[in-house]
Amino acid sequence: MIETYGLYLGDVERDAPKELVLLSIIAQSYFQPFSLQDNLLVILTALTSGSGVGFNRAMLLRAEGGRLKGEIWLGPATPEEASSIWEILSTPGIGYLEIVEHNRSLLSRHGGTLTDTIKGLSFPLGENGLHIPARAVERREIVMVKDGRNEPEVDRRFLDVIGVEDFLCIPLVMRDEIQGEIILDNAFTRNPITERDIKLAAICGLIAGNYIYTATLHKRMLEMEKFAAMGEMAMYITHQLRNPLVTIGGFTDQLLRFEGDRRKSHRNLEIIRAETTRLEDIVYKLRRLLKLEQKPPAPFDPGPVLRAALEDPGFQAKSRGRQVKVRLPKTMPRIMGYPTQVGEAIRNLLDNALDATPEGGTVYLLASGSDPRLFIVKVKDTGRGISDKDRERLFTPFFTTKERGMGLGLHFVKRIVESCGGEIEVRSREGKGTEFRLCFKKEERGTDE
Amino acid sequence: MKTQKKILLVEDEEHLCLLYQEELAKEGFKVTVANDADQALEALRKDRFDLIITDIRMPGKDGIELITHIMGQRKDIPIIINSAYQSYKDDFMTWAADAYVVKSSSLDELKSRVKELLGSQ
Repeated sequence: MIETYGLYLGDVERDAPKELVLLSIIAQSYFQPFSLQDNLLVILTALTSGSGVGFNRAMLLRAEGGRLKGEIWLGPATPEEASSIWEILSTPGIGYLEIVEHNRSLLSRHGGTLTDTIKGLSFPLGENGLHIPARAVERREIVMVKDGRNEPEVDRRFLDVIGVEDFLCIPLVMRDEIQGEIILDNAFTRNPITERDIKLAAICGLIAGNYIYTATLHKRMLEMEKFAAMGEMAMYITHQLRNPLVTIGGFTDQLLRFEGDRRKSHRNLEIIRAETTRLEDIVYKLRRLLKLEQKPPAPFDPGPVLRAALEDPGFQAKSRGRQVKVRLPKTMPRIMGYPTQVGEAIRNLLDNALDATPEGGTVYLLASGSDPRLFIVKVKDTGRGISDKDRERLFTPFFTTKERGMGLGLHFVKRIVESCGGEIEVRSREGKGTEFRLCFKKEERGTDE
Repeated sequence: MKTQKKILLVEDEEHLCLLYQEELAKEGFKVTVANDADQALEALRKDRFDLIITDIRMPGKDGIELITHIMGQRKDIPIIINSAYQSYKDDFMTWAADAYVVKSSSLDELKSRVKELLGSQ
């Protein structure tokens, strides 16, 4: 017998052990795109929801610039709010996702929330004789405070804010770097904090620390990538500008030395004019690189756009000696995007296809609306294909295999398709040809139902 | 009369080729143009050259691959790299060339390097 299950099994039973519930809750966060704010919210929700660890309130402090600063405080603000929330949350059918959603809306609410009361709360780190809560994370130890008013090691200001005598401090540390701290209490139920609660909270602390650390690494990586891309960009621009400048300078020098040949002088001026146009084109493209459509995509009929790309005089002239095969559906659905830019993307791909295809080869423009949600446009050629090495960098700005190309065409194409909410894929075999597949979203119609 | 020295120019920019050809002809050299590395290797098989000037970034094989090929066959021909990029100077393989001249609108440096390497100053 073979039994199969989806990768994600869904919510566990309500009466399952807390450990299993917690594991399932945290696992859900891995099925979402990484968002530090959301992931931390999931952890805090897991710590406070009745079906999770079940603390009444969870406060998150983040380490920043040598201080521990208040960031999120999750839970009801008053006993009345507590009972009404618990009533809602115990409604049958309310799942974990609804609880996270509820907490998210709580955080975005302005005024009267617990989080408001800790904005501006800040404790220095790294000093001798630190008070709790900073001491817990400095010493990397979980601290359980009972009867806090009688403990001189607890910060008085903190006691005033939290308003309870008993609470649990969970340090968030990753690779020995201090990330923050979570503080938990049972302000409303006054339930005692058990050893099991502490163990579960410690696990949540480890995961939260890891989330913050991952986000930091991710941020650093993006900065480095940006930096590397800028260096590469500067290098390509240098190259692109230098060739026309050398030509202009060189032929101008010849003119200045005027060698008495009027025809040659005229030729030089024509070359200078052509190279100046090329410089202008480079400047135009660079400006485009920094600016693409900002408006939301709107539905349009792709038919005229596709046909116009085929009728483009530049395309017609260039396609001589090559076969162009076109297969477009008779009726086309409206798709989401920007007609002018989609047209530009198609022209660009057709132009590339012709560049790659020797005389006698074939270039295809195919479109299909048979998918219920997607409209697919393919630009195919029987040209030289793309090597695996080049394919990796195909959409990177300024990557080109053409000496006179700037390496911006395919980058624009990808950005255009993505700005329409679509996707682009490329398949290629060296010596056989290349296929670009553009998937655009069809217009969603409410009348279908 | 001395025989005219022959230079192989590997460059894919049409206008640059024309400029270099004219300017170097004025200095008394005969310039043959190859638009990419394959054309250059073909020209080297057919003819004898006294010097090679090559770009680095070209479609197909780049200038560094070309130099590697040439070094494998003919170690005696001096090579000048003429690139728009300063940064390739740090590439280990470009050290194999006899000179590295960054493209500039003044051809003075290129011309003096050519003369130096051909011993015709």
